[in-house]
Amino acid sequence: MNEKNCTEDIQELSDFLLDYAVSLMGVGAHTARVVRNTVRIAECYGYDVDMTIFQRNVTMTVKNSHDSSIRRTYVRKLIPMALNLRVISKLSALSWDAYDDCLPLNEVKAVYADIMAEPPISRWFVLLAASAGNAAFCRLFGGDIYAMGIVFIATLIGFLVRQELMKRHMDHRIVFFISAFLASLIASAGVHFNIGGTQDVAIAVSVLYLIPGVPLINSIIDVIEGHVLIGLSRAINAGILITCIALGLYMTLIISGLGTDI
Amino acid sequence: MSYISSIFFDGLFAAAASAGFATISNPPKKAILISASLAAVGHGLRYFLMNSTPLDITSATFVSAFTIGMGSMLCAKLVHFPAEIFSFPSLLPMVPGMYAYKTILSLISFMKSDDEALLQHMIIEIFRNGLTALGIMTALVVGAAIPLFIFYEQSFMMTRRKRSAKNQDT
Repeated sequence: MNEKNCTEDIQELSDFLLDYAVSLMGVGAHTARVVRNTVRIAECYGYDVDMTIFQRNVTMTVKNSHDSSIRRTYVRKLIPMALNLRVISKLSALSWDAYDDCLPLNEVKAVYADIMAEPPISRWFVLLAASAGNAAFCRLFGGDIYAMGIVFIATLIGFLVRQELMKRHMDHRIVFFISAFLASLIASAGVHFNIGGTQDVAIAVSVLYLIPGVPLINSIIDVIEGHVLIGLSRAINAGILITCIALGLYMTLIISGLGTDI
Repeated sequence: MSYISSIFFDGLFAAAASAGFATISNPPKKAILISASLAAVGHGLRYFLMNSTPLDITSATFVSAFTIGMGSMLCAKLVHFPAEIFSFPSLLPMVPGMYAYKTILSLISFMKSDDEALLQHMIIEIFRNGLTALGIMTALVVGAAIPLFIFYEQSFMMTRRKRSAKNQDT
């Protein structure tokens, strides 16, 4: 790596790096990746970055590697965003492109804006795919074809409600509770009308599309990598969501009178 | 149904489940295919290990998750995506939903029951299902995370040279 002259304005660079780090955290990258990528981009313009990430905000100091009197320190709120693996992948690639090809900052910013503006997969397609996926999941737990059908419908409705409530910015925990309750309630109809032979599998699987798998995996990775506090806070958040799913399921079981006759 | 074909169907449905769940987190299209095949390999392997070897479900899950982690490292190297993009969705079909459900079910019976013998039975059920679910979950995550630490430095370089490689081709 050649010695870099600090040609870019520190103010502009700090603003961009904060945006970049906040987006990458928001879409669900693990903490070490966020830190590495941010430091890497700053490095190619001749700046050093030190940063602390907590569950609610990120603190970042950007300083000129040749003249440490030129420095900026900022704290910025993290914004909760929808999980987006494509953005993680593209933003990581962007940091390497900037580093290897020494792209000027305004070009990097333009690419960044393009990546963030890219529309996600159509929500109707996601709805259908998730329902079909959950139905296939039901088969893995030993459900028969009737149970698969019930799970498909239950997931379709539960997921639709989740999408609608999320769009209205309702609290995540309440959304998870309501969708888990609705999905399992619909699945419990299988027991009432005695459809197929594996109704209990249908009820159990109907809420599994809600499991926050990525935050759970990220939390363990963070803890092992030494970002212990943020790792634990991710684990606790995932735990709260799982508790909400369990409560929704619990409500269904109470209402439908299951769980008393084993 | 023969044993081989039941392993095959197990993998097939795991792939379908993984692809379905993957779309929720908006991955690149190419990544869906790769994570679905990894899920098929992982889940099929677990099915095989549980039925043909003395491994229990937790250790079989650990081995499968480790295999998925290794596979996603390899694929990441080949197609220049971060490895997590593949491993996250392909682990999802192994989530211990049935055990978690049974734990809640026995918890409810426990709270409603007055019968001494039933209460004792339910305590056992709660712990057996709850600990199994917890164990599987931990095995899943730790198994998939270990390859990340074996290839720690490389894991951050997977997305590198995308553009440069293309430039050399042309």
